[in-house]
Amino acid sequence: MIGLTPERIAEELRGYSARLSEGVQTLGRIGEIEAGVSARDAVHREDKLTLYRYRPRAETLHPVPLLIVYALVNRPYMMDIQEDRSMIRGLLEAGVDVYLIDWGYPSADDRRLTLGDYVHRYIDHCVDHLRERCQQDSINVLGVCQGGALSLCYSSLYPAKIRNLVTMVTPVDFHTPDNVLTHLIRHVDVDLMVDTFGNVPGAMLNFAFLSLSPFRLAGQKYVDLIDVIDDLGALKNFLRMEKWINDSPDQAGEAFRQFAKDFFQQNKLVKGEVVIGDRRVDLRELTMPILNVYATQDHLVPPPASKALAGLNGSRDYSELSFQGGHIGIYVSGRAQREVPPAIAAWLLAR
Amino acid sequence: MSEQTETSSAPPNPFDTEFLIKQARSYLAFGEQMSAFSSQLHGQLQDGEDWGAMLRQNFDRFKAATLGSVGDASTAAEHGQLWTQMLDLWRQSISTLGLGAPPGGETDAWRGYMQVQNQYLDLLRQSASAALDLLEQRLRDRAATGKSIDSLRELYNLWVDCNEKTYGQMLRGAAYGELNGRLFNSLLHCYPKGETRP
Repeated sequence: MIGLTPERIAEELRGYSARLSEGVQTLGRIGEIEAGVSARDAVHREDKLTLYRYRPRAETLHPVPLLIVYALVNRPYMMDIQEDRSMIRGLLEAGVDVYLIDWGYPSADDRRLTLGDYVHRYIDHCVDHLRERCQQDSINVLGVCQGGALSLCYSSLYPAKIRNLVTMVTPVDFHTPDNVLTHLIRHVDVDLMVDTFGNVPGAMLNFAFLSLSPFRLAGQKYVDLIDVIDDLGALKNFLRMEKWINDSPDQAGEAFRQFAKDFFQQNKLVKGEVVIGDRRVDLRELTMPILNVYATQDHLVPPPASKALAGLNGSRDYSELSFQGGHIGIYVSGRAQREVPPAIAAWLLAR
Repeated sequence: MSEQTETSSAPPNPFDTEFLIKQARSYLAFGEQMSAFSSQLHGQLQDGEDWGAMLRQNFDRFKAATLGSVGDASTAAEHGQLWTQMLDLWRQSISTLGLGAPPGGETDAWRGYMQVQNQYLDLLRQSASAALDLLEQRLRDRAATGKSIDSLRELYNLWVDCNEKTYGQMLRGAAYGELNGRLFNSLLHCYPKGETRP
């Protein structure tokens, strides 16, 4: 039974309007929102790419560096978004020497960059830079989401340079029945899109992500914001996430073309048919130890899409870490801070 | 070369307060609509009318407004602000990208795109209508177990749950995947290759 009376509704609406009015004034005063909190130094640059080293936070540092390869479709500060929600900080405190590739923001000049450029040039140059800098024959790599797929390709093509590989919420089989992103892009004419746009606009990708849950992500979330709008800390946390969600770089056209067609539409990674540059990617070449981290409630990369790696790699030391949460929660939730960085660090430091 | 935050390298990305206000207005419109609904329902109950029949009658009116077939204009307009969330998102995205009607008048390609957009709208309407059926059913289920809805927000959250459920089912269906592709493709056909993003 609806126990609501018109008087009760009117009272709620009056309260809501008052909080909205105060909240809008607070938003106007709040100033710039910073995201990415840990101190870091740029150690290598190439075109728009910057390789950062995070300043160590442990007395004893593991000699093998960890290179984080983030996705091209969002900004990597999600890994370090605020002091109490930072996967990078967790790794640093566990004694891991952390480096991260920031891909920057592709411009019209970059529309012809291919996956070959990203894998054979950008990632490879960063890996070589770290091997030389740290005096190591091989280094550790942590690939995140789409960056995980790129890391799988790189590690298959250059296995001798990778000591341990960690993949996190990484799609491998793009055609599992629950893969909604594949479902949405399956009938899109990718050639037409790239030929029309050149670089694929970040706003278009943002639309695709929001379209998965529009009533929550574009409606309810903002209605709920009014509940915390007078709590400055909570409001800043919200705005940091908003900043990240809306900060979507355009995608270099040719790289997007190949990724959308070969990975999403034709699922070539699991078939051993992806060709990067002039070299075919064979996941059986992944002979290094592998830790595959996935999130049980991931709506973008469903667990079966990640777990497919188990049957495709050539490693004798393959293991999985299951996180009870979603695609974003694995970076920013309180549980993630307690569980994920310590587990990854322990796995790495033991090898 | 040291750096601590993203603020120096990221492009300006201010929070869209206008968007917040727009969503808040939609919520307020939902509240107004529910207030009228509640007032009518309570009045009819005091007259001794059957609660279940009254609920059905009111939801029929909401559905008619959603489907655009009948109903008074104010109900249709207020309700329209809510259930067209997805279409609003789409329009906002293409507007951000500068993808409006081509200069120099409507072309065949643009008319083709508008036709596909209307089909898309029809699919969204069906989903919104199914969400109202689900909401009505959930209200009946609650009533049967003696549970009541005591706040507007609780009712709104239930409405969101129902819309997400029916929308999610639609999204995963073959028809939506195919139509989503045609929507993108027909829009892209409106522009010369390589000229939308110089």
